[in-house]
Amino acid sequence: MQSSERTLVPLASVPAAPTTAPDGPTELARLLAAAALGVALETQRRSTNATVAVVTRIRTPLGLLVRPALALTRGSVAVARHHLALDAWAARGLAGQRRAQEAAARALQTLIATLAATVLEVIDMDEVVARVDLERIVARIDPNQIAARIDLDAIIDRIDVDAIAARIDLDAIASRLDLDAIVASVDIDAILARVDLPGLTEQVIDEVDLGEIIRESSSTMASETVDALRVQGMRVDGLVSRVVDRILLREEPRQTGPLDREPPP
Amino acid sequence: MTREIRYAEARALQGHRAGFASRVVADAVDLGVAWLLGLSALLGGGVVKYLLTGPPFSLPVLPNWLDAVAGAAIAVTYLGLSWGGTGRSVGKQVAGLRLVDRAGGRLSLWRSFARATLYVLFPVGLLWILASRRNASIQDLVIGSVVVYDWAYHPAEGRVDQDRSVPN
Repeated sequence: MQSSERTLVPLASVPAAPTTAPDGPTELARLLAAAALGVALETQRRSTNATVAVVTRIRTPLGLLVRPALALTRGSVAVARHHLALDAWAARGLAGQRRAQEAAARALQTLIATLAATVLEVIDMDEVVARVDLERIVARIDPNQIAARIDLDAIIDRIDVDAIAARIDLDAIASRLDLDAIVASVDIDAILARVDLPGLTEQVIDEVDLGEIIRESSSTMASETVDALRVQGMRVDGLVSRVVDRILLREEPRQTGPLDREPPP
Repeated sequence: MTREIRYAEARALQGHRAGFASRVVADAVDLGVAWLLGLSALLGGGVVKYLLTGPPFSLPVLPNWLDAVAGAAIAVTYLGLSWGGTGRSVGKQVAGLRLVDRAGGRLSLWRSFARATLYVLFPVGLLWILASRRNASIQDLVIGSVVVYDWAYHPAEGRVDQDRSVPN
């Protein structure tokens, strides 16, 4: 069919019906060749149809004749198989066939290897690659489709972030940062100009009850100061009493306990 | 007004008889208060005199005997009223003390005034605290009064709860 197609392809440009007169001898020859081929194809089709029809008609009577012949043949084969040791011959034949197949396979492999080596020697891969139109290939690739087929979750699950982080030398990165330059590039005045400081201050003051805080803190400070003074007084009281008692050679402690617990005077 | 005492040793000593140092501090403060009251009286007199006689403004100059008597009167009045009223003068409030009778109750007004008079006339009697086993001054022995640690901010009505560690 390949050859016939190639042959017919040029004829496709010829008008289906020769309504116009041929231009010259060349066109006339091509026309005649095509017509002959057409006639031959039609003949083949018709003969095939006829054969099919004949076979269909005579199938039943042919079967009746063939069956006894087949039975006879089978019986003859069985007898010959027994007397002529057909199985042994068949085994030898199969073994020989197998050896021949293996030899053929080996030869084919050798041939393919040799061919491939030769082809690779002959072909300049750089030239082949150079002839590849990558732009066109890339243009035909749909990145969205590729991305849709990628299971990002599975990839992310397989990434060991801790290991990656452990391999990063943050100190080295930090030492390479020019903080002065970064700070110098920040326009603090512009930032401050955008901040509503008076409004912010008012909000903070509204939220904080400054008066209450001052009252509490001053009251607490005053009372704590007084308490500290009183405790110091208590300690000095005890110290003075002990010193005087020692001077007076008293051994019993003073009776300064709660009034209820004192013995009657 | 109530508040908790933060110092454990102070809580333990509430209701105990106060010692010499605390009482000297209290009396020193009271002396200052009495002096301020006297100065205020003099200023008041000067203002009255200025209003009546016109400039120049000057403090009245009293004779020495009148000066001493007026000062003593102011001190006795101040101490007597404060001790008889709440049991604590300004000095005792600062030092955390309260004046009570031997039973722990509020001192009567006349005993308060008598004690104040004795203190004004014989302040050296305070020194007896050093020798007394019960931290009593001579005035305390005469009047039958006791000065105790009491940081609580409560009026001296009735008996002071002696066993209280955290005042109410």
